[in-house]
Amino acid sequence: MTVASPELQTERSTLMVTGMTCAACSGRVQRALEREEGVRSAHVNLMTGQAEIVYQPEVVTPDVLVSVVTATGYGASLPEPGSDAIADAEALDQARSNELHELASKLRFAVVAAILSMVLMPFAEVSEGLMADPMMRLFAPLADGLRSLVPFLDSLSPSAWRWILLAVTLPTVLWAGRHFYTRAWTAFRHHSADMNTLIAVGTGAALVFSIAMTVGGDWFGAQGIRPVVYYEAVNTIIALILVGNYLETRAKRQTTGAIRRLIGLRPKTARIRREGSDHEVALEDVQVGDEVIVRPGERLPVDGEVIEGHSSIDEAMLTGEPLPVSKAQGDEVTGGTVNLTGALVFRATRVGRDTVLANIIRMVQEAQGSRAPIQALADRVSAIFVPVVISVAIATYVVWFILAGPPAGVRGLAAAVTVLIIACPCAMGLAVPTAVMVATGRGAERGLLIKGGEPLQRVASLDVIVLDKTGTITEGRPGVEAIQVAEGVDQAEFLGLAASLERRSEHPLGEAIVRVAQERGIALIEPESFEAIPGKGIRGRLGGRLVVLGTIRFLEEEGIETQRFDAAAKELSAQAHTPVAVAVDGSLMGLLGIADPVRGTSREAVRALEGLGLDVVMLTGDNRYTAEAVSREVGIRSVISEVLPDRKLDEVRALQASGKVVAMVGDGINDAPALAAADVGIALGSGTDVAIESADITLITGDLMGVARVVRLCRQTMAVMRQNLFWAFAYNVIGIPVAAGVLYPVFGILLTPTMAATAMAVSSVSVVTNSLRLRRAT
Amino acid sequence: MSLMDWVVLGLGMVSIAWVNWYFFFASRGPRS
Repeated sequence: MTVASPELQTERSTLMVTGMTCAACSGRVQRALEREEGVRSAHVNLMTGQAEIVYQPEVVTPDVLVSVVTATGYGASLPEPGSDAIADAEALDQARSNELHELASKLRFAVVAAILSMVLMPFAEVSEGLMADPMMRLFAPLADGLRSLVPFLDSLSPSAWRWILLAVTLPTVLWAGRHFYTRAWTAFRHHSADMNTLIAVGTGAALVFSIAMTVGGDWFGAQGIRPVVYYEAVNTIIALILVGNYLETRAKRQTTGAIRRLIGLRPKTARIRREGSDHEVALEDVQVGDEVIVRPGERLPVDGEVIEGHSSIDEAMLTGEPLPVSKAQGDEVTGGTVNLTGALVFRATRVGRDTVLANIIRMVQEAQGSRAPIQALADRVSAIFVPVVISVAIATYVVWFILAGPPAGVRGLAAAVTVLIIACPCAMGLAVPTAVMVATGRGAERGLLIKGGEPLQRVASLDVIVLDKTGTITEGRPGVEAIQVAEGVDQAEFLGLAASLERRSEHPLGEAIVRVAQERGIALIEPESFEAIPGKGIRGRLGGRLVVLGTIRFLEEEGIETQRFDAAAKELSAQAHTPVAVAVDGSLMGLLGIADPVRGTSREAVRALEGLGLDVVMLTGDNRYTAEAVSREVGIRSVISEVLPDRKLDEVRALQASGKVVAMVGDGINDAPALAAADVGIALGSGTDVAIESADITLITGDLMGVARVVRLCRQTMAVMRQNLFWAFAYNVIGIPVAAGVLYPVFGILLTPTMAATAMAVSSVSVVTNSLRLRRAT
Repeated sequence: MSLMDWVVLGLGMVSIAWVNWYFFFASRGPRS
């Protein structure tokens, strides 16, 4: 690979790669791309079948990259120009569906050939071991039936039958199982070996041996060697491995079901209002700024802001939140959600690949193909596994040849072929990626966006969850929770004056006061003068009256008597409310208690997290009283208060230094450094770009209960991965020695190549099925 | 052990050595 100077321009391209079946395949395609001059980096994703390549356009073109991939023996194509994440996902789904279709035809052919060859085998010379095979015994009555029905069949010589069997087998090898041989050859040329190598060497050895016996049968007979053929084994192995491949591809397609369902949320067309009239347009033609009309029962095509109408919207498919959310003018709406009750007109703010839905789909796609660190174990084993198995197979042949009775060569060959077939490492390659894929898909359906295998694995080993207070435990939107006025003061007038002045300020507490006044329908007036004193309060004239608003201390500094509200102010502080005093013409009129209300689910979420054995810590910049009031309300025992935003990072690091694995939960942008420093950063918020980029995990619902759900999902996923790896290894550890015949001298137990192929198919399918259990994870 | 057994044993050992050399030690192949 060339090292490019930084100023050289690079471009990014995504290729669709077809035909990859295991980690060795994707590894080979990736290495080939990385070796190509002008390629800065390449990442090939086995599960999504995509290759992400960063390259220098002046050195290499996308077309060349396609040919690099096809030279490795796999299919490659460029995505349609102008396509987005959703179109890519649809194209991939189509490609996988075509692959499945082709595999089904090959499978049907191979199964017919396998059955035919097993029925016809007894007509050729029957080998001694042949009837020991349970499959052959199964088909023996069919052969007998055929004999009695068509007596002519017996008149053909065994030699002629061997030729007929060869004719039945060749199409299976040359068409149905062709890809095993071409891929094995490509791998061999690159000094690497994978499951295709084992299948190709195993069936190839059986086939070459059988052809030799067919062509030179008479010669072998004259030498005293009874001609034996293994056509039925070749056919059956290919058919059974295709069964495994087929079920695997189908299951893989099911694991991407989450993405398919997300894509299905997007309507194909949108109704928009242009120049006063309504038009139905294709989704791709909706532009930012268009006025979009949705009737009750319809799905929203893009993201936007409501400009007309009032309705409730079902966001469950995006957030997992079961209750509909009411929307009116000014509210944000998300494409893919369902408009339930009233007609809405909204202005499109995000379209195409910028929508929340497109972002989620893209993130899930990337996450699904990402690697979990535990995968490295499977990769290390797979890399040395195949050559070792080939060595074991050769040794098996030699030992059988020397120690077994005649026909030693034939029995040795059968045992060696069985070793090669039973050792196919498919299950090992599928163990981790399928679990990552199903888990991230399942998470996305419930509004839990997990960025990939690595965060997934780290979440499973968490010790401490640090929760930011504002916006995480609380709503993050302060509201007026208490109003106390002096005797004889009208509450509406009091609020009106405070809100009229606050309207000019940009302080979040001010917004809360303005909001409550508006909610109560209180008319606001324009102040004649306005002055903000940062950190203290505001001062201004309204209708000729001097209004001063702010902290108790600020009012005291202004020479206003505050003593009579001292007790009330202290009480508000103890309840985690911020007291705001309002004075008119030098006299204190009353207090407003402003607080950030705790989210409804926070208490339940804290209990759920503690129930999972995690230490929950609250981190906040607020004073100790407010922090303690909130922590009491939600039941958190450890509180770190009065932490400045830039010190949050240090607190997270301090926890990590004590040897704990720490997750930081925050509302995205503000807590970015702490989120990044934590072992796992969990952002609460919408599916917008920023939130997705800044955290390992994004909870779209903004509900703390999601944190507990994520932890449970990740733990279940890790359990599934460990089971998968254990069974995949155990299967080989037990299977290979048995196939080699270690149990034969004592127990007389010996596997046949057909039995090995069955076991191999079963092991792959069981691993995928185990991963699919996560689709029902909580 | 017969002469044939010795031949098979020798060929087997050579094959195993070659397989391991080819996949683990030989150069990683031409640039593709």
